[in-house]
Amino acid sequence: MTSRGTPSRFLQSVLQNGVGRYVCQMKRISLIFSKNGQSSLGAREFIEEGVVDFAQKNPGTVVYVSPQSCRIPKIVAEYLNGNVKEEAITSKTSQQIAELITKLTNQSGLDIIRIRKPIHTDSPSIQGQWHPFTNRPLSIGPIGPQKQQAN
Amino acid sequence: MASGYIVSRGVLTFGIHCHHVCRNVLLTQTREKKRWMKAYTLLMERKLKIEGLPPPKPRSQKPNWDYHAEVQAFSSRLKENFSPELLKTAFVNPCYIQSEKERRQALGVDSETAALVLGDNIQLNTQGLEFTKSFLSDWCRASFPSLPSKGVVAIVSHLTSHPVVCHVARNLAIEDLTMSAQFPVPDEVLHSTFLAVIGALQESSGAERAGLFLRDFLVTQLVGKDLFEMWSVVNPMGLLVEELSKRNVALPEPRLTRSAGAGTVLPLYFVGLYSDKKLFAEAPGETVLAAEEEAARVALRKIYGCTENRRPSNFSAAEEKLGLLPSIHQQQLKDMSPQAL
Repeated sequence: MTSRGTPSRFLQSVLQNGVGRYVCQMKRISLIFSKNGQSSLGAREFIEEGVVDFAQKNPGTVVYVSPQSCRIPKIVAEYLNGNVKEEAITSKTSQQIAELITKLTNQSGLDIIRIRKPIHTDSPSIQGQWHPFTNRPLSIGPIGPQKQQAN
Repeated sequence: MASGYIVSRGVLTFGIHCHHVCRNVLLTQTREKKRWMKAYTLLMERKLKIEGLPPPKPRSQKPNWDYHAEVQAFSSRLKENFSPELLKTAFVNPCYIQSEKERRQALGVDSETAALVLGDNIQLNTQGLEFTKSFLSDWCRASFPSLPSKGVVAIVSHLTSHPVVCHVARNLAIEDLTMSAQFPVPDEVLHSTFLAVIGALQESSGAERAGLFLRDFLVTQLVGKDLFEMWSVVNPMGLLVEELSKRNVALPEPRLTRSAGAGTVLPLYFVGLYSDKKLFAEAPGETVLAAEEEAARVALRKIYGCTENRRPSNFSAAEEKLGLLPSIHQQQLKDMSPQAL
């Protein structure tokens, strides 16, 4: 689809994050996996080795581990702005799952859609936005080309 | 049951999967196209159209929720040391206690055997509100020294208003942790919960840390906001005349500087304000009066130091909680003095 047909947003941050202190935007992560399925093998390995380190390194994120009988193991990440992101981790290795989780931790919860401009500023103009009257002598009446000064 | 035996004989031939729910009930599943699926889906959609979406459930009633862990994560996420009891008390609202008592009475639970031992957050709330208002006024006065007290009051009341505080609280996950009678949490309750959290922070870590917290989360909401969005001034020209006479500067004379399209549907007039024959503010408008009012507002913004191109406030000074005074503003004040004009 074209960029006009798909949603887009401007570059922004949640609650001006980073202007004051930086707050990790992921508040909750749930690992749903199965105790006996082959697709959850990577998930089970990650839980054995990596999840406790991850939870210690990110004290601001609550990690829930829920073994259920499911065909597709999932990671459900919830962010401070209310967005919930689900990722399937079927047949992924423990390493891949660790990378995926770091990627999710570093995201803000804003939608992953086209960003219209890679920039944002609150003070777009320091000397004043140019308009057609800038640097023109004051005049009331019809506006024509300025007379060239004799050099 | 006879049908059960007939079905189980067809297992190998027709590929039907049967499993016993109990000795007399047999459930069959086939892997072919499910002829009932379309009718069922359409029925459920029709039901959804009639009844509307199911009511939203609070996060605490969805799976995977551990209140104590969530509260701990809340305080470490914000890099603050809250005392756990104070923080948990801050989240408990009186409406919740009321509804819990009624629920226990309705269930017939004796009030002595299962007493509700939960403290209110009313006291923390009032403490937090007082502290917030005083901190924000101090910050405004330090950042904009020439802003009159009416302006300071306007900015502080905008920052402590329901929309702003609830926006901040919702994006800090306070709504998940709030204990209130209704869901979705009404604005009032969320507002008082946020202030109670500030009060709890003030009691646990002291006024300085609470001040830094307010600066990082409430004051940053001023970024990108114009002064007159928050402070509604009815007569900017009158206010400007007052300000200039206080500073012993000549009174402003409005003059039409530029105009274009005077007879058209979209006329444009630029009005400049001259004090002692020197231009100090100019602004456009659709009519001459609108342009004059806008020019008065531009002049006021320059005087108070709230222009769009001012030096941004310093949010990284950890030691001075009130932030440093902007030096560009001092330069502008000098420009306004009688000597310069």
